[in-house]
Amino acid sequence: MAVVEEPGKPRNWQERLAIIRDRLYDRLFHNYVWRSIFRSGYPNTPRNQMLVVATNVFLHLHPTRIHRTHVKITHTYCLGGLSFFMFIVLTVTGVLLMFYYVPDVNRAWQDIAALETNVRFGLLMRNLHRWAAHGMVILVFLHMMRVFYTGAYKPPREFNWVVGVVLLFLTLLMSFTGYLLPWDQLAVWAITVGHGIGGSTPYLGDEVQQVLFGGFEIGQGALIRFYTLHVLGLPLLAAIMMAVHFWRIRRDGGLARPL
Amino acid sequence: MLVWPDLLFPEFISACLFLLTFIILSVFVNAPLLNRANVSITPNPSKAPWYFLNLQELLLHMDKAWAGVLLPGIFLAFLAIIPYIDRSNEGQGVWFGTRYSARITSVTAIYSMAVTWLLVLFDAGKFERLTRFFPTCDEEQPHHWPPCLVGDTGLEGLRELQTRMRFSIGDFDWPQDWRFPLPKLGGFSELRFKNLHLWGDMNINVPAVMVEQVLPLLIIVGLALLIIYVLFRIGWVRTTRDVMIVMFTGAMASYLALTIIGSFFRGQGQELVPPTDIRVDCGTIPTPPGCP
Repeated sequence: MAVVEEPGKPRNWQERLAIIRDRLYDRLFHNYVWRSIFRSGYPNTPRNQMLVVATNVFLHLHPTRIHRTHVKITHTYCLGGLSFFMFIVLTVTGVLLMFYYVPDVNRAWQDIAALETNVRFGLLMRNLHRWAAHGMVILVFLHMMRVFYTGAYKPPREFNWVVGVVLLFLTLLMSFTGYLLPWDQLAVWAITVGHGIGGSTPYLGDEVQQVLFGGFEIGQGALIRFYTLHVLGLPLLAAIMMAVHFWRIRRDGGLARPL
Repeated sequence: MLVWPDLLFPEFISACLFLLTFIILSVFVNAPLLNRANVSITPNPSKAPWYFLNLQELLLHMDKAWAGVLLPGIFLAFLAIIPYIDRSNEGQGVWFGTRYSARITSVTAIYSMAVTWLLVLFDAGKFERLTRFFPTCDEEQPHHWPPCLVGDTGLEGLRELQTRMRFSIGDFDWPQDWRFPLPKLGGFSELRFKNLHLWGDMNINVPAVMVEQVLPLLIIVGLALLIIYVLFRIGWVRTTRDVMIVMFTGAMASYLALTIIGSFFRGQGQELVPPTDIRVDCGTIPTPPGCP
């Protein structure tokens, strides 16, 4: 008489463990809530993996496939992606810094000093924000050089290069507007140099100083302008331009490669 | 290859690595916070953020509107129109795709940095001995020919062509006689748009225009054309793409050189000094504590 095994009946502790693991996996990833967020499981087939990228709200800016040569790290050095990553780091740390900062010439410096000493991880957040900002400027420049020397601005990618130049300019402006906010000697005198340069604009010097710097010397007018541009105006503009920039990569057929 | 997982995975890893690097950097190196801003205490030198130090450096050598606004504007505009000038497909998608592009790039980079340094050194008066062939001016005489210099030293910068050089063509003495009224523009001697003074009833100071605007711009354009011409004659530069490589590399290299000079070689009063000699004076009022 043959031994009939009952399915699902564990014979030893390994199988018992496996069943527990599977049930746990089921509970975690196949429940009603999880399914409402992620409609399908891990994409195992190339077709599904492409569909994930094409249909996911965050990933759909990517192309679904890329050429073998572009996965090699030495082709791009991830410079564009890392610039964007710096932007994300700056957004996260920047939002946290905003909780403790009031753009008032009488308070700004004290707020930063208090942030460094009285707020848990405040100093770390400020340092991260500062170094990531410098990092982003450098990465954006390096990214531009990578794109130039690989001839990636050539047709049909002309316009995306222009968008990139705008983003470079916005990056410099975001960094420059942030430079004033600590309201210390370094900040104010550096912006004073920029104020002088802006004032030397032919024909429009006074207007530039009034509109961008809020007057003929660096004061509350400059601080509130720079603050608003730094935390809202410029990042919003940059985010829009970035969306266009990434989307165009996909629309223009992925990264450039030899014809 | 597929974006998921072949691209997203390296992207994720490099993001993690960078985040880790920056967190470690932030733990060990603090962002600077000096004393509270004080309008009455000017630090000497006061410097712009590092990525604008190149403009601040240029300001020392030429007209401020050109150095601070127009040249950077032209630079950005040039960057933006590169793809509309160079429309070919050659060298697309690979590093240094055209035949001589790698060596064009390295030669141009070295050339631009060297030339930038030489010009800065010239304007700091370091090559004053080379221009001692100009005779010393005899102040007794009413007119000067050949061109001579007031004082014993040679030229200590481009601006001394205006301040210390004397020569005369006919009765015209350089620099004081070389001021001419602006010509009338379409019958208007003065042209205004609202409060903008577009064209005015005033004199052109030819020596100042030469020294602040014409000569610096001619030098910049001339040196760029020179390297393009030389590389063209020896056969390395052959296409529009190659010309673009020369111009882009040259601009970026001199940008870098100016940034380095502005960051590390400008001391008090924007004097050109070695990096070890840079001392920041925080102002005349008794030095506040914590002043760098």
